[in-house]
Amino acid sequence: MWCFILAELLVFGVFFLAYAFARTHDVELFNASQLELDRTSGFINTMLLISGSYFVVLAVDRIRHGHSRACTRWLIAAMACGAAFLVLKLVEFSGKIEAGISMSTNTFYMFYLGLGFFHFMHVVLGMVILGAVTLKAWRGGYRASDYAGVETGAAYWHMVDLVWIVLFPLIYLLN
Amino acid sequence: MKYQSQLVAKPYFIAAIGLFLGQILFGLIMGLQYVVGDFLFPEIPFNVARMVHTNLLIVWLLFGFMGAAYYLIPEEAERELHSPKLAMAMFWIFLAAGVATILGYLLVPYATLAEWTGNDLLATMGREFLEQPLPTKVGIVVVALAMLYNLSMTVLRGRKTAINLVMLVGLWGLAIFFLFSFYNPNNLVKDKYFWWWVVHLWVEGVWELIMGAMLAFVLIKVTGVDREVIEKWLYVIIAMALITGLIGTGHHYYWIGAPEYWQWWGSVFSALEPIPFFMMTVFAFSMVNRRRREHPNKAAVLWALGTGVMAFLGAGVWGFLHTLAPVNYFTHGSQITAAHGHLAFYGAYVMVVITMISYTMPLMRGRAANSPLAQTVEMWSFWLMTVSMMFITLFLTAAGILQIWLQRISDQPMSFMAAQDQVALFYWMREYAGLVFLSGLLLYISSFFIKGKAATAD
Amino acid sequence: MSSAFTKSAARNIFYGGAVFFFLLLIALTFDTMGQLPKRDNRENLSESVIRGKHIWETRNCIGCHTLMGEGAYFAPELVNVYTRRGPDFIKAWIQGQPTGAPGRRQMPNFNLTEEQLDDMVNFFKYTSEINTANWPPNIEG
Repeated sequence: MWCFILAELLVFGVFFLAYAFARTHDVELFNASQLELDRTSGFINTMLLISGSYFVVLAVDRIRHGHSRACTRWLIAAMACGAAFLVLKLVEFSGKIEAGISMSTNTFYMFYLGLGFFHFMHVVLGMVILGAVTLKAWRGGYRASDYAGVETGAAYWHMVDLVWIVLFPLIYLLN
Repeated sequence: MKYQSQLVAKPYFIAAIGLFLGQILFGLIMGLQYVVGDFLFPEIPFNVARMVHTNLLIVWLLFGFMGAAYYLIPEEAERELHSPKLAMAMFWIFLAAGVATILGYLLVPYATLAEWTGNDLLATMGREFLEQPLPTKVGIVVVALAMLYNLSMTVLRGRKTAINLVMLVGLWGLAIFFLFSFYNPNNLVKDKYFWWWVVHLWVEGVWELIMGAMLAFVLIKVTGVDREVIEKWLYVIIAMALITGLIGTGHHYYWIGAPEYWQWWGSVFSALEPIPFFMMTVFAFSMVNRRRREHPNKAAVLWALGTGVMAFLGAGVWGFLHTLAPVNYFTHGSQITAAHGHLAFYGAYVMVVITMISYTMPLMRGRAANSPLAQTVEMWSFWLMTVSMMFITLFLTAAGILQIWLQRISDQPMSFMAAQDQVALFYWMREYAGLVFLSGLLLYISSFFIKGKAATAD
Repeated sequence: MSSAFTKSAARNIFYGGAVFFFLLLIALTFDTMGQLPKRDNRENLSESVIRGKHIWETRNCIGCHTLMGEGAYFAPELVNVYTRRGPDFIKAWIQGQPTGAPGRRQMPNFNLTEEQLDDMVNFFKYTSEINTANWPPNIEG
């Protein structure tokens, strides 16, 4: 699993480098377009993902002590954060699309929409993974001696969170 | 060989090698036409020779994949093939269709061939690599579906291993993506966009699954390393291949009228495409280092290691060389592309098919391995072909760099033909390297006829 | 994290990754199809251009030439041949083949009619107006 997570981080890493590279070539365009973004929504989303990560940590902690029920509850809480993130993100995207903005508008929007959508799909995948783990935890499929599945799901969720924590300041804030 | 029905692979492999020889002969004709322009004109114009060269490559690799599938799937599924008769019937149909198509190319003007074969009903011909007349394309689909039925039935009722599942997924993908060859819109940009769904999603997608399964199968057999370990590697490698390769399609969308964001998507993902190939190299070497037995078939081990290295060089390194959009802006459609194409096809697909042939042919002929002399000759042919292909690639790369400089970068750009004249020396050297390749291939074929006592493991 | 990396985990990554990235490819393709009308010069896709494309295909031109950099590398790039040479030159050139110059590369004569030659020229005019992100780097292709 770790090699996969590293590979994912590598993909995002290359994208971030490409962003930085593209930005140095047209700083003004990037700064101007950046101001059109909804920072509040981005900030709330950051909070949502960080809380989600925290809940996942609690879930792992609970199952380590053998509490399946509590583990399930925290996992559901984490997924709720993920779902809220997705809704906010969709609102953000649809606002841009209604304004006639697409990946072909300019290089900044290519990164904002492209990277954002790419990350969006990762959140969806993270939800699917957490969903599968939750289902198994709910049925009592993990115990204090065997909770590798929860840890793996948690690791993936942290990765998705980590990527956002880099992505948010890079695209929304860095001016 | 555990099951009688695995023997159907034999005619597939023999046909593959025969067509391979044809491919090389036409390659040499083209190579000469690059420097002696009117060679064999008007009997065999360059475009006809090229069509024969590339189509033979595709057809013989497909023969190789099919033969490999008919051999490894029964063994992995631990049961006889669902219908050996169907497999043999498909062999003859495919061979007849292949030969008839090649003869059609050589004997009839292409426009006439198109008219005769119903291209006016559904125009699919005249696009690179998909030049086959409509009946041949339909034939490919029929043969592929019959094979998939045959193999799927075998696997469904037998043991399901990672290797036979991956092989099957790869072959299904091959058949499904080929269906895009029937889609030829009037809009040239859309035509090209979906043309790559056949070409790219084959060679940088589903074919890699087939290749991975074949390599994993041979490595299990010749090294005796635990199946769990090898199958885990297989999954990781092909996962990386698809993760990078699917969006990597974007590196073909830079300059054909698609939106410009593909320059970013294509560059980022295809920059990562060498990773699965590098893993394949590491995979082959570490499995051989951890071997639990000495397999008497040394030649097969050499081919397996060779395909790991050469696939990485050809597909990984030479691919990366010109995949980034700012570089590709200058290299696109030059001899650099030709250099990459040659080494990648040879290193990845030619060599993996020969690996499979090298491992299975002695078994199908009733021995664990060929005689030491036959193996020595085969290994010589390995070095001759591999080294000469490396040189072909280097000469074409040199020609490409010079061509790009003269025609696209310098202050007074030369016309295409003027630039071609300047790089003629490299084309001559490429042709000589091609002759060495041919001698290697002839040596390889001769190794099948060397008798002697079978080698033993020690 | 002590979890051992198992074969089933590797398998899930393969199937999951394949589906994930295939969906991404479809999403990008969907967006591309929406953007194409602005770039692919479809408004000039006349009957004559379509006939020209058909002639291009049935004479296997791609077996020697490149078009937008794709094809064989034996003969010149033709996406911009209309701007490079102009209509009259193109027609005269196609009719004048093969040159028969000893040792030089030869192009077959396809015996095209005057109308077919016009179709070819129209096809090349159409290709030269597709937005190819400024490729080729210069007029020589």
